[in-house]
Amino acid sequence: MNGQTIPPIDTSDNNSKNHDLTSKSDENMKENGNGSTRLWLENMFKKYYFKSNSNIETDSFFSEREFGFKLFDGKIRRHLTFRDHKELFANIMRYVPSDIYCSSARYQNPTANMEDKGWKGSDLIFDIDGKDLNLACAKVHNLTHCKQCNGFTNGILSKCSICESSLVEMIDLPCKKCISALKVEVNKLVTILLDDFGIKKDTLYIYFSGNNGFHIKVVDDVFFNSSSQKRRAYIQYLQGKDFIIDNLGFKINKINNEVTILPNKTLFNSGWRARILHELGLKTRNHKLDERSFNKIIHFNNTHETTLYHYISEKISNFAVRIDPSVTMDVHRIFRLSGTINSKSGLIKTVCNNIQTFDPFVDACVVGDSITKVNSKVSLKLSLNNRRFEIKVGINRVPEFVAVYLVLKHLGDYIDA
Amino acid sequence: MIRFGNKDFARYPFLKEALAYVTRNDFRLEDLDNPDYRHLIRKAEKKIQNFVFDGKIEYFIDYEKTHDTIVQEEVIVFLISLLIIRSISIEPVTKKYALNESMRFEKYLIADLNNVNQNDKTVRDILYKIFNELFGTEILLERNIYNFFKIRIDDYLDHTIAYQEREWNLINRTLDKGFVYLDGTEIVRLFRNELNLLIIDRIKKMNPERIPSTIASISNSFKLQWEKLYPSIRITNMHSITPPCIDHIYELIKKGENLPHPARVLLATFLIYTNKSFDEMLNLFKRLPDYNEQITRYQLEHLAGKRGLSKRYFVPSCEKVKLNNLCFETKICQGITNPSQLVNRKKYETL
Ligand code: SF4
Ligand SMILES: [Zn+2]
Ligand SMILES: [Zn+2]
Repeated sequence: MNGQTIPPIDTSDNNSKNHDLTSKSDENMKENGNGSTRLWLENMFKKYYFKSNSNIETDSFFSEREFGFKLFDGKIRRHLTFRDHKELFANIMRYVPSDIYCSSARYQNPTANMEDKGWKGSDLIFDIDGKDLNLACAKVHNLTHCKQCNGFTNGILSKCSICESSLVEMIDLPCKKCISALKVEVNKLVTILLDDFGIKKDTLYIYFSGNNGFHIKVVDDVFFNSSSQKRRAYIQYLQGKDFIIDNLGFKINKINNEVTILPNKTLFNSGWRARILHELGLKTRNHKLDERSFNKIIHFNNTHETTLYHYISEKISNFAVRIDPSVTMDVHRIFRLSGTINSKSGLIKTVCNNIQTFDPFVDACVVGDSITKVNSKVSLKLSLNNRRFEIKVGINRVPEFVAVYLVLKHLGDYIDA
Repeated sequence: MIRFGNKDFARYPFLKEALAYVTRNDFRLEDLDNPDYRHLIRKAEKKIQNFVFDGKIEYFIDYEKTHDTIVQEEVIVFLISLLIIRSISIEPVTKKYALNESMRFEKYLIADLNNVNQNDKTVRDILYKIFNELFGTEILLERNIYNFFKIRIDDYLDHTIAYQEREWNLINRTLDKGFVYLDGTEIVRLFRNELNLLIIDRIKKMNPERIPSTIASISNSFKLQWEKLYPSIRITNMHSITPPCIDHIYELIKKGENLPHPARVLLATFLIYTNKSFDEMLNLFKRLPDYNEQITRYQLEHLAGKRGLSKRYFVPSCEKVKLNNLCFETKICQGITNPSQLVNRKKYETL
């Protein structure tokens, strides 16, 4: 069923973006140990899908989308289609995929190979991923797992601290701070999309990715038809890349930091210009810089510790949204389907109706709570489903949803009762 | 619908409302041999001489006459020019004429857009008509605040300039609620390419049953003038092969295409490398529709390192040429990293 060309699956919440997914999954299976672990995981997944079938997101263009399944044996099946929700459900129960993906694009013929699919357009998607934020807390609470000696070390390292092997992978264990930082980025993005791009609120959907990130989807006819090239222009805009300071109505000589006012150019006061002028405390009258503001800018270097140029650059990077450009530009990608389990964590990809109050460790955590034994390789504190757990090295008796999290994070092995 | 009877149509003779001024009086191209049209043919002829041969965009509309007459005459002069160019039927001539003719309209458009807030409803409507009907883009006026126009972000990004020049990247435009804000000059700049294509298209569509003899004789003499000025390109070097990328540029020049900057640099450095004389080089460059002798001379001297502190520029590498989409690699390019290597290779091989 696999086609010749296999565009990348959305691996945005994967630590190793360009890894071959098949081989990685095979490794996972090795690490997850024996067949009984796999059987147990499949049962957990089945249980969830059986109970929460209605959580799986489907729209009216269901049959025009390409689906992808990643199976527990590591195989990937792309170019799948389903007539309706019922057929999708039946196939989920039959194959019990570890991950389920769906294209942001719609096609005339979704099962064909990429060249023959007949692209109709693609929803506009943005990916905000924890690892792109380079947070200080992540360097403390994330773990480095060595595939050579199977040891774990705190922090993000490029070499195993035990055996010095460079065959290491990062295991992200996002904390509350990580999630708040991600939400800040989501809010920055949504603000610019609404204010500058004029996107309507009711066409914009925010999802928790199921691990350590958020996806934002815009369902709007105009953006649906945007080429990759146009999407690249949106990205550049959102990232504040290549902004020319002259747009603010003045020029800065980078060598001596001298400021020249450009009074003749009148620019509409909105977008980036308005945001930065506002940060600088500069007023405009009828879209032109106010006379009194001139002095303020010209003497900026005397009244501030930093130069005007650096100050502005810093403001730009504060407003800039940390998004993964390749995800937005790839109009053939398949994304994790909302309402399905992310096999990197056991959490659910979930639509956030209120991003402010959304708590992934409560709202995206649904696997059952009968007590299960896990042999943990590390000790750590966890907070899931409004409960706190202290995991120690060795055998732990924990609810299923904790067991699934530990096993899928490769931190422990399931033990048959 | 816009009401006519306004002299402003004289500046935009390509609008169908302008055309209506002459068609309702039963004007036919086939009748141009009639002496009544002699002064208009003279005007068109002078314009082509200026635009195509003398490199001057000089043209005057005489606003002293009655509105009807001004518009009628301007439309007819416009049509005559198209017909002459069409019957000259030399691609570089067509391109050069179209470029300068569209630049003339650009000037009018900029002036009119910048005066829009005088509440002159007709002018405003004409402008919207041009953009909306001819180019399929809706231009909206941000009322009451200076001369701001806005167009949808998606429409804006249909123009290649939005990707080519940093100043025109979306990030350096003002966006608000789904619109890009532009002033009059910027709007016109954005549509430069479309305007140019429109003129070319109108020339191609000139297909009268027969060309009036007056027109035929004018276009014949223009043809001779052109052929004398620009005998067909023969840059041959007995001892070397021309790199495919350079050949491609020659092809573009033959067709009267305007060359992008990197292509000019490639050609110039290559010609300098092969020891072509300045006159030989100018001879090539003067075929470009936007040729300006002074600027070209300056640039060539700069590249040759003959100006002030400038160093001599070497022929860009194949890699660079590829990056600029100017590489048309064939078998003969095997194993080379710079187009200049082909020149030498052949020389040694024939020794
Ligand atoms: S390979 Fe080099 S020489 Fe050949 S066409 Fe390309 S750029 Fe020119
Ligand atoms: Zn190790
Ligand atoms: Zn954290």
